[in-house]
Amino acid sequence: MPSARTATARSGASLAQTAELRPFTKVNIDPITLQVLGGAFHSIATQMAELLIRMAYSNIMRESQDIGAGILDVVGRQICESDSTPMHCGSLPAYVRGVNRKLAGTYQPGDVVLHNHPYHGASHSPDYGILIPIFHDGRHVGFAGCTGHILDIGAAHPGFSVDVPDIYAEGNIIDAAKIYEAGKRNDALWAHIMDNVRTPDANSGDLEALIACSRFGEEKFGALLRRYGIDAVMSAAEMWMDYAETRLRQEIARVPSGTYRAPYGWLEDDGKNWGKPLKIATKVIVEGSDITIDLTGSNDEVETGFNVPFEGSVLPTANFAVRTLFLDEATTADPVPQNDGIFRPIHVIAPEGSIYNPRFPRGCEARFVQINRIPDQVLQAFAKAMPERVVAGNSANVSAIVYSGFNEADRKYWVVIEVNEGSYGGRFGKDGIDAIDNLMANTRNTPIEESELRVPIRCERYELRDDPPAAGRWRGGIGSVKRWRFLTDAAVNSTGDHRSVDPPRGLFGGANGMPGRLTRNAGTKRAQKLAAKVSDIRFKRGETIEIVTVSAAGYGDPVERDPEAVAEDVREGLLDARQARRDYKVVLKGADVKVDAAATTRLRATNLRNKKRSTN
Amino acid sequence: MPHVRFAQRSADRGIAKTIASVSPAAPRLEAVLIQIGVDIGGTFTDLVLWDDAADSVWVHKLASTPHDPSEAAVAGIVALCDLAGIRPADVGRVFHGTTVATNILIERSGAKVGLITTKGFRDVLYIGRKKRPLTFSNYQDVPWQTHPLVKRRHRLGVEERVAPPKGEVVVALDEKEAIAAIRKLKAAGVESVAVCFLFSFLNPRHEKRVKALLKREFKEAFLSTSHEVVPLYREYERFATTCLNAYVGPKTARYIDRFAQALRYIGLRSELRLMSSAGGVVTADGAKLLPVSLLLSGPAAGLISGIASGVAAGTTNVITLDVGGTSADIGVAPNGELREKHLLDTRIRDYDAMMPMADIDTIGAGGGSIAYVDPGGMFRVGPRSAGAVPGPVCYGRGGTEPTVTDALVAVRWLRAEGFHHAGLTIDAARGAAAIADKLAKPLGLGIEEAALGVLRIVAHNMVEAITLNSIRKGFDPRHFVLVALGGAGPVFAVPIARELGIPKVIVPPHPGVGAAMGLLCSDVSYTFQGTLWENLARPNLRRIDRSYEELEERARRRLGADGYDADAIAIRRRTNCRYVGQGYELTVEAPHGPIDNVWVSAVVAAFHALHEGTYRRRFADKEVQLINLGVVGTARRQRRFVPATAVDAGGPRNASSTAGDALFPTANGFERAHARYYDRGQIKAGDVIEGAAIIEQLDATTVLPPGSRAEADRAGNLIVYP
Repeated sequence: MPSARTATARSGASLAQTAELRPFTKVNIDPITLQVLGGAFHSIATQMAELLIRMAYSNIMRESQDIGAGILDVVGRQICESDSTPMHCGSLPAYVRGVNRKLAGTYQPGDVVLHNHPYHGASHSPDYGILIPIFHDGRHVGFAGCTGHILDIGAAHPGFSVDVPDIYAEGNIIDAAKIYEAGKRNDALWAHIMDNVRTPDANSGDLEALIACSRFGEEKFGALLRRYGIDAVMSAAEMWMDYAETRLRQEIARVPSGTYRAPYGWLEDDGKNWGKPLKIATKVIVEGSDITIDLTGSNDEVETGFNVPFEGSVLPTANFAVRTLFLDEATTADPVPQNDGIFRPIHVIAPEGSIYNPRFPRGCEARFVQINRIPDQVLQAFAKAMPERVVAGNSANVSAIVYSGFNEADRKYWVVIEVNEGSYGGRFGKDGIDAIDNLMANTRNTPIEESELRVPIRCERYELRDDPPAAGRWRGGIGSVKRWRFLTDAAVNSTGDHRSVDPPRGLFGGANGMPGRLTRNAGTKRAQKLAAKVSDIRFKRGETIEIVTVSAAGYGDPVERDPEAVAEDVREGLLDARQARRDYKVVLKGADVKVDAAATTRLRATNLRNKKRSTN
Repeated sequence: MPHVRFAQRSADRGIAKTIASVSPAAPRLEAVLIQIGVDIGGTFTDLVLWDDAADSVWVHKLASTPHDPSEAAVAGIVALCDLAGIRPADVGRVFHGTTVATNILIERSGAKVGLITTKGFRDVLYIGRKKRPLTFSNYQDVPWQTHPLVKRRHRLGVEERVAPPKGEVVVALDEKEAIAAIRKLKAAGVESVAVCFLFSFLNPRHEKRVKALLKREFKEAFLSTSHEVVPLYREYERFATTCLNAYVGPKTARYIDRFAQALRYIGLRSELRLMSSAGGVVTADGAKLLPVSLLLSGPAAGLISGIASGVAAGTTNVITLDVGGTSADIGVAPNGELREKHLLDTRIRDYDAMMPMADIDTIGAGGGSIAYVDPGGMFRVGPRSAGAVPGPVCYGRGGTEPTVTDALVAVRWLRAEGFHHAGLTIDAARGAAAIADKLAKPLGLGIEEAALGVLRIVAHNMVEAITLNSIRKGFDPRHFVLVALGGAGPVFAVPIARELGIPKVIVPPHPGVGAAMGLLCSDVSYTFQGTLWENLARPNLRRIDRSYEELEERARRRLGADGYDADAIAIRRRTNCRYVGQGYELTVEAPHGPIDNVWVSAVVAAFHALHEGTYRRRFADKEVQLINLGVVGTARRQRRFVPATAVDAGGPRNASSTAGDALFPTANGFERAHARYYDRGQIKAGDVIEGAAIIEQLDATTVLPPGSRAEADRAGNLIVYP
């Protein structure tokens, strides 16, 4: 078990040493059966996630797919997991550990456990986890579990907000409570939970969906155990874990052992103490096929809700950062399943009392911005060692905004959580991806037509932002601009980071990215710039909010960019001819924007001479 | 006693033969004496001719002509008519399943499209749903950005805005700006224009106006408006579908025209009908208006022929498994009804298309699927395929990686002697060597064990896909029959049926031309839809009534234009419902009759039941919302079954030609069994064949492992009891 509460928390070590807890005998599995069972594991996790998404109520679960689902053994080793949202991938083991610490030994068939304690494994308090113990031949052999972001858990402000003193202001904490015991629902507990939130209709639907999802997993995994026997199934599960571990270790071992450092990263503020940036220190240590992400030196924990739960959030993030870099799905031929094996080579150090390992009862709801910088920092650390696999500075934040209001007619709150897209930095051989969820975020947007049919807001713009992309041989991805008009009075909460203090970092001569912004009544005389983190700002009917998301950084010297690609960006209206000349030294001519090859060659040659002269 | 004939002749560029037939008295719905089904695939063009007067069915297969797919089709029709001894002028109808629209997408060779959209929303098409296809990847490409259906310079916004809930105009259309946009697109050399405004499904006034302006200013352009293509809410999906229509439209229309012209040239006077993705056929005019509806039509036809085979064999719950060279299509049809995909799943390759689409899953598992050991030592099969070139190792065309076909040869389910592919010789030793080298050695298995392993893994992938498409959706495969189609469907059908507890497998007379058969079994059908967003706890009954009336009228008009009388048209109503607050709908069949409280209660009750069937839960206390209305107008056609064959009083004697050893999987490994090899053409109705047996025919192989048993029925099917 990783110890997360010592002065220096170090985690990621396999749980395999707890093998004595195995309720089965390890047997040899032939390669064909192994493949068959691997397919079955994947299929169960995929189906669980699908059922949850389709049945869910709130837009954050259903459209944003802010959920995770899988099967785990009795100590929380992951056998399989849906690959929906990275933030939820790998957080389930921590939920199991958190729940086991209270309930181990008490499980009965028909139990359903609800848990969201961020100091005992929850990713953050709005992420409800539902765990159902799986029984086979009367023995407890594992868990079917899932997590999902609940719209409103009774926080100080609708949805969520940053400026809260502790976890109790983030909403109701449910610490490993059996919402069903031996098949019987605890109606009093259920009613109590729903009586203390602003969106009981959506929450009860979502909770039902979470329970249905885990029940489905319980049933399917149970059927697998009956069909193949527990020894075969669990042995195959271990072999698949070993397989995932082997595949990841093979890749890590290709990198020379040593310590790789990223430049310090900076977060704008904690959402209360304005103008005080927070430091992110990152070094990555490779020892053979083991990798350690050391966050020592990062900022101390802060007094708002802007801290990060270590187990439920930092560990899944480290897992994501490493596996995405080393086993990129787009360039890795054979799929590697998400299971406990992936965690084994990965270790994390974050001193207790730091922003990445806060102490109870610090608030830690708004953790995504800090989280999403970790994979970005890891990429920066490996830039020189793996130039063909890293990415220039990403948007590496999240723009999560809550719009809410109170409908006098039916005496109910309406709450919408919007997760706006980011962008990818330029990549070796490829431009960055425009207007898309970045790194740990991978959620869907809610259709504008859906939002407008449901709640009193109207969209006035949803496009790529207007300024040109960050220049580079492979340019940075472009952020988006979205503007909403409120048709009734409303409140806004937000937990972003504009990257104004520390914009996405250009690589190998590429330009830095462009910060985002949040503006009230943009384009009018009343225009007002807002911080990325706002807590309970009130809007009057008719006012607007405009969200401009971060554009990522460029990769490589812009002067080496294919002139035809520059011309195409001009034709597509992403930059103009003047910028093409200034940033890329490309000369364009004619109404159809053709490259003037001769003039471009001359201009680039002159530029090169000038550069040499200035360095000499 | 019905009249029976067997004939087998070779034709120009393929092989044709008749299968026996009779003329059972069927209800005459649309009576057409002679009809032809043409299914054009990437490798082969399959044709089937049904001649009611002569009680016969003729089948023909020839190589496709990708440069102009209609070439092989026309040559095939000529050859078929010749074989059947009729003139093309005698043919009543030609039904066509085409991948032409799909190929345009694959080759990215569609039209240069312009988009006129609401100002401020030109990039909706480009941002999409902003979720990456791959979770764990920094180096992926996002297809809707690397290959947008419409370039940004051709996506133009104009002032206008319609708003919910009633579709009120909150910003008037700026006509001057619209005209300027049209002229700009025209000057840019765009050939197809999509008009996509927000909330046009609530009020299409602005889209209609811009369409009128386009007709005035740019009449040669191919026009697609979002309220006509798919008047449903969800802007990205609606815009993408409309732009897909614009993208494939001009070329598809030209293809249809050229094909029709070629048919006229050979003297064929009948009209051309095409299969749509939803599994109905549409007229050439209908297809040209909505070419996006042709995408993915091939697998639908296969499923329809599977259903027809099931019905002919006296059963209606059908799962079809159509396995070809590179992929397997799996369809589940409870009660003999095609189901449509959930709208989250109606993607066509890289693009979202909100079109009714038969619920068919395709996985990368076929005869050409490559088996290998990955860097982590794991035994894998597919989805990579050796394709037609270089193909399996045993073909000796340069393939070096062992495939499913090589494994089939190694276990002697395929024999060189029984291999009917034109011009192919099988080198079993070469395939076995590749299995030994690439699979058996690294895995520490014997060659035969490894070969059977390949087959078990590929069969298991199919089992998983069937599970996903049946159990997940609330259907128990034990209450279904499995219809095996394609060259390799009947190879895997029995082990798969055993695994899933399916009691019966049907192998139709010609599994290899399932799609062409299906064309002849399909009804003419059109779907019309609209978004309503009505809470059924307090519904506006008049509004629902009016909407149905309008959609039903459109369906009748469309079928009327196709030449069907009012009494030949069947109208089905349906709704897409969800609980208030949910995000995804389920499709509920809705009753006919007046829209009143009784009607509403029936829909609500049906929704609760469907939700429980699909998701295992019903929320009886939650309100139900009707999101979309739909009307399916159908003109039913006569043939819903495959013609029957005669009972041969001679009994099961004889068809056996040879015997030999083959390998079969068992619970714990494999067994060697003495198998008999039969020629399918020699099997008569009433024959019973016990496994182990391999039944060979022109375009398919049926494998009966030990313990299974097949009976040939009067419809020419093999009914296999696994």
